[in-house]
Amino acid sequence: MNRNTMRRFVAVGVALPLALSLGACSSAGGDSAGGGDGDETLTVWAWDPAFNIFALEEAEKIYQQDHPDFKLEIVETAWDDLQPKLTTLAQSREYGELPDIFLMQNNAFQKNVLNYPDLFSEVSGDAVDFSEFPTSVAAYSTVDDVNYGVPFDSGTAITALRTDVLEQAGYTIDDFTDITWSQFITQGEDVLAKTGQPLLSGQAGSSDMIMMILQSAGASLFDEDGNPTIVDNDALLAAIDVYTQLVESGIFVEVNSWDEYIGTFVNGSVAGTINGTWIVGSITGAEDQAGLWAVTNLPKLEGVDGATNYSANGGSSWAISSNADVDLATDFLAATFAGSTELYDTILPTSGAVANWIPAGDSDVYAEPNAFFGGQAIFADVVKFGAEVPSNNTGAYYYEGRDAVSAAITQIMGGADPDEALAEAQANVEFAME
Amino acid sequence: MIRRLRRLPGYVFLSVFALFSVFPLYFMVVSATNSSADVLDSRLLPGTQLLENFAKLFAEQDVVSAMVNSFLIAVGTTVLSLLLCSIAGYGFEVFHSRAKDAVLAILLLAMMIPFAATMIPLFELFANAGLVNSLIAVIVPTIATPFLILLFRQATRSFPHEIIEAARIDGVSEVGIFARIYMPTMRSTYAAAAVITFMTAWNNFLWPRVILINNDVQTMPLLISNLSAGYVTDYGVLMLAVLLASLPTMVIFLVLQRAFAAGITGAIK
Repeated sequence: MNRNTMRRFVAVGVALPLALSLGACSSAGGDSAGGGDGDETLTVWAWDPAFNIFALEEAEKIYQQDHPDFKLEIVETAWDDLQPKLTTLAQSREYGELPDIFLMQNNAFQKNVLNYPDLFSEVSGDAVDFSEFPTSVAAYSTVDDVNYGVPFDSGTAITALRTDVLEQAGYTIDDFTDITWSQFITQGEDVLAKTGQPLLSGQAGSSDMIMMILQSAGASLFDEDGNPTIVDNDALLAAIDVYTQLVESGIFVEVNSWDEYIGTFVNGSVAGTINGTWIVGSITGAEDQAGLWAVTNLPKLEGVDGATNYSANGGSSWAISSNADVDLATDFLAATFAGSTELYDTILPTSGAVANWIPAGDSDVYAEPNAFFGGQAIFADVVKFGAEVPSNNTGAYYYEGRDAVSAAITQIMGGADPDEALAEAQANVEFAME
Repeated sequence: MIRRLRRLPGYVFLSVFALFSVFPLYFMVVSATNSSADVLDSRLLPGTQLLENFAKLFAEQDVVSAMVNSFLIAVGTTVLSLLLCSIAGYGFEVFHSRAKDAVLAILLLAMMIPFAATMIPLFELFANAGLVNSLIAVIVPTIATPFLILLFRQATRSFPHEIIEAARIDGVSEVGIFARIYMPTMRSTYAAAAVITFMTAWNNFLWPRVILINNDVQTMPLLISNLSAGYVTDYGVLMLAVLLASLPTMVIFLVLQRAFAAGITGAIK
């Protein structure tokens, strides 16, 4: 390094921090959330440009028809990043940095409201008619009879199957509708024997499938007081039994990652999947399989009280923050996501975002046949399924419960005794709750 | 001939190993030219989707701004932390005393504290200073790292102290000794430290994610995180973004590769 380079080096070392601090001043001056200053701009945190953000932009256009000065400032934030941001803001009590509205996974809603109530503003029942949403969905964002969120996309569970593969084995989609898990397993084994294709796949060590089966019977890992009920839970034992049979019979292929899971049905190595209706977006990515899919409800548990053919996985709701221009934010959500058929009609065909808002399901757009699914009006069916989904308790420790059950399932699949593994899971959740 | 044959198992082993290390890179490059469905199908041949992926990526995301932000942060962090940590490492070794050893020991203990534990107080600090959404807030907490101070202190051990004595007798100031004798001599250590710091700063994720709230100040890792957050991920576009994000660190490493190896092993030429 000669002297000239040295000088330059030192000069850059001195100049750069200066330049950066100037840059910092300009960006720090940007506006954060509203706060009722007469300005008609709302800041929103949400993820997925093709889905949630697209819906927001359409909602903005609809709201602008009556409020020409209205504007949304959307900050794209992945859910995995949104949660740590909220946690940091809550724990450092810097509520001033919150946006007006943020999107929240339904499964995480209770936990956040119970742990960090100061992040949220109540969503007034006078402005938003919560009876127009399925009870099971509104329940995610309701704590002590107070609503903290406006439900958005539906996590209603569907069974999507390849009709061409079923046909080879001599079945139709009707043979898989309104059935029980034991019928599903018998028929699945038959399909596997005749065509060599398993019907389902999923991530090893993930509890998604178990949780869907559990909710289909209105059961949960917690009782109404929030105490864990992982031990002596008949529905859970039945769900684990079904899952074990599915994997052992080869009907359900366990893979290592989410990407591999998507790959299994996109590349045709499995002939179906069970998941939230949003999985349709990934299924339709396999353009060469157009016309070969159909959608139906879930198999149900036998011998368990309250068992149904309906469940849910995922889905999300809009929350209004404690730093929001509450009146504007509430009015915006009430006029769009909880009050505009036009909005849901626009976003459904492009993004596949199925409404939880019941009046949207009556629209003609929902009844239109879908060519990819052999002309079936799948979204009208999904809305019908949605109304039947039983409510379950998620509670503040839902994720801890899920993680503990996932670990137990891995042990059980490895040959451990289910009762012992679940007792350990219960102990772990109780430890986390202390 | 026999000698060559004897080497054969070694070559086979190394080739297999090299294949394992290079394959992920190859898959990344090839996937950037394929469609999402092809990537999921594990297609290993280059495709024709590169331009489409480019168009989609740039339409969906502000890649230019993210690259510029990442670059400012990485360069700023590297320059400042090299300057600061080398001065500290030099000081700890050249102006050695027991009290300073104790301070260094405390600094090393600080390495044990996970970042997650200090993140919330740190956020409060920067929020009170009005620095949320500023690149300064990303750079400042990472410029003084115990690891780099230790690296420079260890490297300074092999720096001949006689030179310092001689320069002092010749009337060179202490700053002059550091800037004109020490820094040029230690360039391989600087290079090694630069590679490590640049890579860490470029890939830094958690802290920027928390402190950079608006997307006009987002960095490449944050942009990539957004690309895989949706219900449907376009893997071709994702791989292209990962490729773009990896290029600068690859270039830096290739340019400084020799000096890096020398710096890590502590050689002085």
